[in-house]
Amino acid sequence: MKTQVNIIAVVDVIGALSVRTLLDGNLCMVDDSAFDSTHQGTADLVTVVKPGQVVSWTALAVDLQTPVEIKNISFEPANGHNGAAASGPAMSPPGSAAASKGEAHGQEESEGDKLDLDVWTGVVPHWMTPGVPYQYRLELQMYEGSNSVMSIDSPALMCQ
Amino acid sequence: MPQQLAIIVLVDVSNALASSTLEGNTYLFDNMKLHGSVNQGTGELVTAINGSYWRDGSQASEQVLNWLPYSLGSIPPTVPRGYEVERARQTDEDALAELQELAAKSTVPSADAEAELNRIRRNVGTRVKTTRRTRGRMSGQKIVDVMGQVVTEDATAAASYPAPVITDIYGEAVDSKIMYPAEYGSPDMVTDGWYWSATVDTSRPGTYSYMMRIQLHKLVQTNGELRWDPVNLTCASALKITSEPRRNAFTKAGVGQLPIPATRPGRDA
Repeated sequence: MKTQVNIIAVVDVIGALSVRTLLDGNLCMVDDSAFDSTHQGTADLVTVVKPGQVVSWTALAVDLQTPVEIKNISFEPANGHNGAAASGPAMSPPGSAAASKGEAHGQEESEGDKLDLDVWTGVVPHWMTPGVPYQYRLELQMYEGSNSVMSIDSPALMCQ
Repeated sequence: MPQQLAIIVLVDVSNALASSTLEGNTYLFDNMKLHGSVNQGTGELVTAINGSYWRDGSQASEQVLNWLPYSLGSIPPTVPRGYEVERARQTDEDALAELQELAAKSTVPSADAEAELNRIRRNVGTRVKTTRRTRGRMSGQKIVDVMGQVVTEDATAAASYPAPVITDIYGEAVDSKIMYPAEYGSPDMVTDGWYWSATVDTSRPGTYSYMMRIQLHKLVQTNGELRWDPVNLTCASALKITSEPRRNAFTKAGVGQLPIPATRPGRDA
């Protein structure tokens, strides 16, 4: 078994900022899991993992010279999102996007400019129920400013 | 910062040639304002480079720099590379057509025909003389202004300058092995196929200066012949390198379990 699974979020930053969505092909997620992950190359990637494996997330800009960093990855079920697992492609509704933007601002002042120091790595816990996708919110920061943070709720981790 | 960084070197070519210095005639920009670069758009840019190291002290990220020289008051670099040649060929074709017309309508030489010939001669433009030193892309070409019109000998002030070329990057940052610059080829026509790039060792924080040698071209007229004379000037800039430890973003410490709630999504919650 592989000890590490890498997930790469490739972002078309200019595209995303222009249409203000990470959908429409502006975000492409892929992983190198040894198991059969589904929806490779989309924002709905379901990465199949095993307890004890290390998962590592990286963001990459399509245009190499555009700054993009992962701002946050959270598994806490968002309000009204508990049942989103089975509803196919999900995206954060306008309300929640605004809320996360608000939060982001508070954080931004303290450590927003040091995101490049962050390593998004963690061990898959043993308590995950096999076969159930655990969706997470991926927040991306693209340069700076009030519209620079975008998030997506559709990717997931799933235990084999 | 795993991303590459671009430093735009914008040169006011005609002023730099007139005053024989790049000081006050160069404007530097980079895309690292977010990371602390200062004096964007001036000649005093200090490029911020944020390095990082792993917990064991080893270097975690290297920075890649790309320098792109641009010229103020020249044909934009985004027009096709054969543009000048294309425009020159067009004037040749026009002149030929006019000559043909002239030949057809006047069978006897006259003052009128001579005036007409002179006019055609003016419209056809002048080719730059090729010398041993100036062989290359610009030699044997007609001189074109920023609008793509050929320029005649008596109106060369309007000529579009060839883009500045960085010919060397050297100085403190290179001598102290902070950055390793080299020139690379690229299929990108915006940078004319060649660009300088460097990797920066971010393990030794500090401010390091470096120099760029930039070649401009001056249009000179000797004995009725035009030629592009290379003029080598230098321009200074600096890198400010900082380095901080990388950290696990989930735990803010070492690697731990992912913060996945113990409740099953969509059922127990």
